[in-house]
Amino acid sequence: MEYKQIEKEVVRRSALIYLPISVGATLLFFLAASLVGGYPPVAKIGGVVWVGLLSLIVSMPIVTSRVKHYVGTVARNHE
Amino acid sequence: MTETTFNLSLPISGMTCASCVSHVESALKELPGVRDVVVNLATNKASLNYDPQKVKLADMQRAVKDVGYAVPTSELTLDIRGMTCGSCVAHVEEALNELDGVQAAVVNLGLGTARVTHIPGVVSTSGMKRAVRDVGYEASERSQGADALDRERQAREDEIKRQGRNLLISGSIGLVVMIGTFYEMLGPFKTFVPEFLSYKWVIGLLTSPIVFGPGRQFFTNSWRGLKHGVTDMNLLYATGIGAAYGIAVINTIFPGAGFGGEGATFFESAALLTTFIILGRWLEALTRGRTSEAIRRLMKLQPKIARIIRNGKEEEIPAEEVESGDLILVRPGEGIPVDGVVAEGYSAVDESMLTGESLPVEKKGGDNVIGGTLNKTGAFKFTATRVGKDTALGQIIKLVEDAQASKAPIQKLADWVAGHFILGVHILAVLVFIFWFFSGYQRFFDPSSRFMLSPASLGEIGVFGFSLLLSVTVLVISCPCAVGLATPSAMMAGAGKAAENGVLFKGAEAIEKASKLQTIVFDKTGTLTKGEPSVTDLITDSESGVWSSETSLSTPEAQLLVLRLAAVAEKNSEHPLGEAIVNSAESRGLLVGAAESFNSIPGHGVEAQVEGRAVLLGNRRLMREREVDFAKLMVQAEALEADGKTVMFVAFDGQPAGLIAVADTLKEFTFDAIQRLHKLGIETAMITGDNLRTAQAIARQVGIHRILAEVLPQDKAEEVKKLQAAGKSVAMVGDGVNDAPALAQADVGMAIGSGTDVAKETGDVILIRDDIRDVVVALEVARATMRKVKQNLFWAFFYNTLSIPLAAGLLYPATSLIISPELAGLLMAVSSITVTLNTLLLKGFKPSIRRDDRPQSGVGLSEPLLTPVVASGD
Repeated sequence: MEYKQIEKEVVRRSALIYLPISVGATLLFFLAASLVGGYPPVAKIGGVVWVGLLSLIVSMPIVTSRVKHYVGTVARNHE
Repeated sequence: MTETTFNLSLPISGMTCASCVSHVESALKELPGVRDVVVNLATNKASLNYDPQKVKLADMQRAVKDVGYAVPTSELTLDIRGMTCGSCVAHVEEALNELDGVQAAVVNLGLGTARVTHIPGVVSTSGMKRAVRDVGYEASERSQGADALDRERQAREDEIKRQGRNLLISGSIGLVVMIGTFYEMLGPFKTFVPEFLSYKWVIGLLTSPIVFGPGRQFFTNSWRGLKHGVTDMNLLYATGIGAAYGIAVINTIFPGAGFGGEGATFFESAALLTTFIILGRWLEALTRGRTSEAIRRLMKLQPKIARIIRNGKEEEIPAEEVESGDLILVRPGEGIPVDGVVAEGYSAVDESMLTGESLPVEKKGGDNVIGGTLNKTGAFKFTATRVGKDTALGQIIKLVEDAQASKAPIQKLADWVAGHFILGVHILAVLVFIFWFFSGYQRFFDPSSRFMLSPASLGEIGVFGFSLLLSVTVLVISCPCAVGLATPSAMMAGAGKAAENGVLFKGAEAIEKASKLQTIVFDKTGTLTKGEPSVTDLITDSESGVWSSETSLSTPEAQLLVLRLAAVAEKNSEHPLGEAIVNSAESRGLLVGAAESFNSIPGHGVEAQVEGRAVLLGNRRLMREREVDFAKLMVQAEALEADGKTVMFVAFDGQPAGLIAVADTLKEFTFDAIQRLHKLGIETAMITGDNLRTAQAIARQVGIHRILAEVLPQDKAEEVKKLQAAGKSVAMVGDGVNDAPALAQADVGMAIGSGTDVAKETGDVILIRDDIRDVVVALEVARATMRKVKQNLFWAFFYNTLSIPLAAGLLYPATSLIISPELAGLLMAVSSITVTLNTLLLKGFKPSIRRDDRPQSGVGLSEPLLTPVVASGD
């Protein structure tokens, strides 16, 4: 398997994990804001975006590095 | 999952025949996941196919090693650009260490380098560079010597220029944004400012080029890293700047969105935050290079041009092209390009830059010259003996570079913390947002809220805007750049400072360990003492009949006569004690002629006929056998022996003439050094193969209380181990040749008086001069460096510990004040500058000995060391 293929595989597998995590966190936030009630739509949407962005930033590197180890990308130097 | 296999060509060393090939092949074939192994003896390589899921390269190395061969490794240094903090260090190290074939990668933030130990052929330099680029940094292969110096300086100057240009753009536009934002508060000065500058869209238009121009670097760098699963400081900046700019844009387009309404802009937050971050980068670039000045100063010593003589003609060539054996001409005022031996001519050479010797040293045929020193008066020709990296200067530069590029245990911990910090900060930012969004705002928000140190009010801000502001401020204020800089900057400055004083630490770990020493064990002979016997006492028996014909002689004259005749008798002797007597007589200007006859009495002494006298020289037993009565001098003889001296009895014509005491004498500064160590709270011990009485005599003179006597050379390491077992942190100071096992066993091995051939030395610390006071210098520099490291870490962690809760709004319920993102940016810049400036204070540090009496010297090699110190016999 070529290096680029492995990289693509890492990106694909990682995204399949961290995107649901981020979306899950976002939904949780939205749900909580809706249940508590009283928030204007801008606050709710803004909160969703901010929590989603931070969740993505937190989960993306953790998941990507784990997946990278799992897939065993060792091809970078095989030119 | 798809099976992934790779072809690999693994270098193997140590193979000599076909059976070696078969051993290696079998060892590799036995590993799971390894197929198609073919070992080639001619190329010393093993070609194979392997599945990385089942077998690692380390397994293959181990398998090869287990059957008695090795996979050779080599070292490469890469220049890394774009690193700004401890987390960058962790990312680059991780990226390199992940590569197959890389055994270890050590990144130095201060130097901007990565030292990579790798298996050649398995991983390529371009592969390493690509791995570094993939995580958001630039890498290039480090060049050597002066070229490296030029490139490093050029790279630093480029960075200073780049960030200076960014600062000029963002600072000048930011000032206009500031004025426009606070237009209503300008009072009488309003007349000087056009009103349109206060329009929100104008402020927005002015801010955009700051964010997308100078601020663009943070977005691109963080995205590049994020794609490969790494988070760094750029991400903190990018999120902070992006959020502030986003709030400002939304508030401008939708004033009712809850970000402060018509009265607030937030563009100034984005503009000033970017400006302050760039200010920090610029100041860091300005100050960081200064901690590695020691290397630059050393490199500058090397002349760039050499004038060689080929086929009888002078030819100017670059100094790095000089080869060993070349004949080089040096004229007055010129630098000496490489190490060598004077072939012809006479001159005086200023070696102060390397030796600390203030007076020029005379050079004549056969004398050594050192590259990097300066010819003063005459012209001479010399033959190059050591060139390039092998010169004394090259070896010293390499050692200092290695020390600066290595990592102390404390630094590894700091880098780990910084590396994981950013992710933690983002998690904290989510928690802060959620707290203020769901609970804090409702419970504590005060419409009269203000930003700290700012007239801007937050009156109309909504729950989302308020929570977002606090969350963003936490991100910006938590930057761990000060933590990342704290240790490496101090270690670099410390290693450089030590080199300036003639002390070479082989690594940052040695500095850390040296700062914690409790006990220092000194080898006696050659370290505390000169290592060669010399005459210490001359005693004559004035009442002896031998002087009846010499009544006019005073006592000193009689003593000199005894010494002179004894020297003549010993002139043909090869015994060390005899040599000491001859040397002593010659050094006093006495004429040591030839004996009329000479007879050696093995194990006892000598007898000779000198100037008509029968001279008998030897031990007590010889005198007893020849019935010479020394009863009157016996008290003095025993007193001398009690002091550890060897007494030789001298008789003229069968009558007692006098005593000559010979002993290994202390070096000039031994007593001073030991006293200074005691003042530093260090316990000192002496180790020697001599008998206890001799050892005690020396120890008494220097003030050492712990004596390890009658220890065989091979047992010295065992004695050091015993001290360590008692819980002591022990240093061993020796000559680095016959003390090598003890130096290796000690927590810190210090090789003293190594002269210019520093590369061959064992030990963690090399004291170039033959001056034992440099042990004190090493300790003082190590302690000062570690003090600086601790101060830096304290300030860095203190700043983060204090500022993060403040940024999260801990004091808000009581004060109604929050920290604005731009103030957080300024504080962050101040913290890293504080740490760097604190490190620079180390440049003014002077060891106590230099402060007291010794002139400041260069790298510090002393003239006597150009010929190696006589190896000790114990």
